[in-house]
Amino acid sequence: MEQDHELVKQCLTGDNLAWENLLHLHSRKIYNLCYRFTGRREDADDLTQEVFIKIFQTLKSFDPAQGSFSTWLNRVARNHLVDHYRRTKKDRVTSSLEETSVRIEEKPARGEHPIERLEHRERHEALQAALEHLSPELREAVILRDLQDLDYAEIAQVLSVPQGTVKSRINRGRLELARLIKRMDE
Amino acid sequence: MTHLEIEHLASDYLEGQLDAAARAQMEKHLDACEECRGLMGSLREALDLCHTAEALEPPPWMVPNILRATIGESRPAFSERLQAFLRPVFQLRVAYTVAMAVFSISILINASGLNVRKLRLSDLNPGTWFYRANQAGHLLAARAERFYYDLRVVYEIESRLSQLRPSNARKPASEPARPAGGASDKGVARDSQMAWIGTSKIDRLAASARKP
Ligand SMILES: [Zn+2]
Repeated sequence: MEQDHELVKQCLTGDNLAWENLLHLHSRKIYNLCYRFTGRREDADDLTQEVFIKIFQTLKSFDPAQGSFSTWLNRVARNHLVDHYRRTKKDRVTSSLEETSVRIEEKPARGEHPIERLEHRERHEALQAALEHLSPELREAVILRDLQDLDYAEIAQVLSVPQGTVKSRINRGRLELARLIKRMDE
Repeated sequence: MTHLEIEHLASDYLEGQLDAAARAQMEKHLDACEECRGLMGSLREALDLCHTAEALEPPPWMVPNILRATIGESRPAFSERLQAFLRPVFQLRVAYTVAMAVFSISILINASGLNVRKLRLSDLNPGTWFYRANQAGHLLAARAERFYYDLRVVYEIESRLSQLRPSNARKPASEPARPAGGASDKGVARDSQMAWIGTSKIDRLAASARKP
């Protein structure tokens, strides 16, 4: 965290190497956030770049007193993802869960126990498919908590909602995710 | 506790956030209710999937692209770096050193009995090299070294002679080519000094090479 603030300070003095270091430190996290939210690598490629360009342009407005650089970065990224989601809502063709589960079930099922029915890789594909069927509000909460490993307080800052709201969204998101995966598994 | 209450407290239960009383109540319901037990099982499974999901690596061009879009530059690509690295090679003095190195290596190859035309894959093995170099022994090393110093000494003598000559004397035809721009005699003298670090070192080198 200290390191981030130092790097931001150096960036603002025009230190290009500091900016490059910031990118190396944070681009992977943001890339994964974008991928988990959209489910498409091409989208994650574009969105990650757009987020960092935005970050670069607004670096002056970052205030360490308001929270860590990482929180600020996540907030900018999340807002960008929500904008993107709204922008592309019209032309997005959401496949139904049934289609997704058919796609996954075409592969031969092995073993008797339901846990063994889907192979490791297929199960993670199912996770991604299920995430995409969550409402964006629940999706972002679950991704930030269970895939990006942020704590409740940090998520509350990123989403600009009270911590109680975060807790309830994460709980609802997890329950829905569990039901979706179970349905694909059946 | 109702099914709905179980759902509301599911995350708290799994994260160990419930107090003892609430926990006991919840477990009592779970013991009796198959549906809620199933739900908790699926929830555990989903969380386990999330926690074992592998992070993706962003494509390698990601950071260079962002750098180009923000500060207008990026770390030079490999080909650019190679070019920058090779640029000094095209300067005369370095070219001379490189030529010397190529020369030495060709002598080394010759002396070690390797026929380049009949080079096999096994010949490129460093083990083979050490073996053959050992065979050729110190003779080889001595020969290569003497050849190197001989060439050096010739160049020394030539450049020192050119320094000693009157400044208006015509340049001898045997003088090695100079890069354009260093045409004045003063420039030539400085150039040859720079080429061989300093005269005292030259003397030492020449003396040691003259020894049999
Ligand atoms: Zn129940």
